[in-house]
Amino acid sequence: MDFIVFGQQIINGLVNGMGYVLIATGLTLVFGVLRIVNFAHGEFYMLGAFLTYYALTLFGVDYLVSALLATVAVAALGIGANKFFFRPLRREHEFTILLSSLGLSLLIANGAEEIFGADPKYVMSPYADEAMELGPFVVTEQRIIVFVAAAVVMAGVYWFIRYTRMGKMMQATAQNPEGAALTGINTDFVHGYTFALACGLAALAGALVGPTAMLFPTVGAWAVLKGFIVVVMGGLGSVTGALLGGLLLGVVESLGGGYISLGFKDAIGYAIIIAVLLWRPQGLFSVSRSSR
Amino acid sequence: MTSNSRLPLIIGVAVLAILPFVVGNAYLQHMLVLWAIYALLALSLNMIVGYLGELTFGHAAFFGIGAYTSAILSMNYGMPVWLGPFAAAIVAGFFGAVIGYVALRIVGPQFAILTLGFGSILYTITNYWVDLTRGPMGISGIPPFSLPGLDIDFTRADRMYYVALIALLLVAYGCHALMSSRTGRAFIAVRENAPLAASTGIDVFHTKLLGFTIATALAGVGGALYGHYLRVITPDLMNLQYVAALIIMVIVGGKGTIIGPIIGAGIYVALLEALRVVGSLRLVVFAALLTLCVIFLPGGLVSLWRRYAGRGAAGGAA
Repeated sequence: MDFIVFGQQIINGLVNGMGYVLIATGLTLVFGVLRIVNFAHGEFYMLGAFLTYYALTLFGVDYLVSALLATVAVAALGIGANKFFFRPLRREHEFTILLSSLGLSLLIANGAEEIFGADPKYVMSPYADEAMELGPFVVTEQRIIVFVAAAVVMAGVYWFIRYTRMGKMMQATAQNPEGAALTGINTDFVHGYTFALACGLAALAGALVGPTAMLFPTVGAWAVLKGFIVVVMGGLGSVTGALLGGLLLGVVESLGGGYISLGFKDAIGYAIIIAVLLWRPQGLFSVSRSSR
Repeated sequence: MTSNSRLPLIIGVAVLAILPFVVGNAYLQHMLVLWAIYALLALSLNMIVGYLGELTFGHAAFFGIGAYTSAILSMNYGMPVWLGPFAAAIVAGFFGAVIGYVALRIVGPQFAILTLGFGSILYTITNYWVDLTRGPMGISGIPPFSLPGLDIDFTRADRMYYVALIALLLVAYGCHALMSSRTGRAFIAVRENAPLAASTGIDVFHTKLLGFTIATALAGVGGALYGHYLRVITPDLMNLQYVAALIIMVIVGGKGTIIGPIIGAGIYVALLEALRVVGSLRLVVFAALLTLCVIFLPGGLVSLWRRYAGRGAAGGAA
């Protein structure tokens, strides 16, 4: 086996995986705190990528600033989405909530196709074509930005949940919404906050990963599928699980695509979900959670 | 069923039977065929969504399996076309039974994700197994539907309509008979409260597996009719887009009822045509319709009528 090729596959896998991690973290937060399996999560990724594209090409804003602006704008949109599509259904069956998120997803995806047009866009990041050599391996600067930014954001999210007041309120709401409300936590506010944070993370993922491929309004379906696979692997609601699951999926896909068949690369991910859900429905990395 | 509720049913079926003559226009007749096939498919999805109470994102894959089975068997192996829907039901139902046997151990959102995974794998296989399915190019030149010994040209929409309508009515009657039976009541018990159902001696897993297998077999029948009618099929039939369309029909019409998905399919086909002028914006309208129904009208349009009728009868049984 060619070591260089193998190593390059691993590196590509880790970089792609870090993008998946960013997508999946928001998905898992929303499930953990709000108990929502948000089918529309990928659409916020798509919006993040498109808003970055427009800020960059129409208004000539610097790429990294565009990415930040897109993140903030989509997080604000998330507040509205939660308010109209999920808050009225708080007491409904999970089935209804999943359907509502499907409706939201179709609404955003088809609306985006109307507004942005179905033709592919390309986010002209100044870093997309600059290759960097790390020893024998080659990585574009864009991919390094994805990896580093995602690592920093993940550390930030972990710190935020663990040590800030808001993070602790999120943990309390996730563990027991009634109990949290009894201690004076405004769970409604925590829900809105978490949802907005998750949408922001998805948008940031879109802004960063977007320049590595052509951009279509339908990319949200791809993003949410990857997110689901990662979240199922890592365990629904677990942030550490999302990190490990995302990296693992990236590497497995990269090796599978390189050594088995590029066409079936996407199928590998689905096969993983099926295997994991059947073998360990609580996720690969979760340590004996209290049984439900 | 009492005699006074049978009358509207007879009138309804009679109206459906003469519809192609009333509309007279070949294009509208084509829409009628699509309606009947979609209504059959919506009824099959309703078995899972409405009666078993699980959401599936993989249903279009079974629709696709049915279409491919009937097309391939009749084109490559000389099977008479009228046997197609039966063969499609067997093959799609077999896949449904195997996938259901695996997937139904899990419930709720995870089940929905799992079916999405299975559906996507079936789509990928269909797309890449070029020797069998011709891959993304799809299969064209599928023979039209035919009946042994009868020389009827089923490429004409007004003829094919009766095939699809009879299939739809048989499926609708089958659903009604099933839901009036002990098995059907077990479906509802499992939907409402699985642990309680289990405590009364219902085998929850096998009840769900039965419902899932029937639903997927029926989706196969719909796929076979669709393939022999349009005579071109591509792997896109298995897309999430078709799943979403079927979910919209079931939810907007009214899940857990027989008339609801049939009406939902009618609304879908009618809107598809009425909104042709606005182009792809109609997909946004469908999405909005779905969301509005989920939030404000969980029982679908059927529940509006029931609400109204219930008030008229001063709180009579709805």
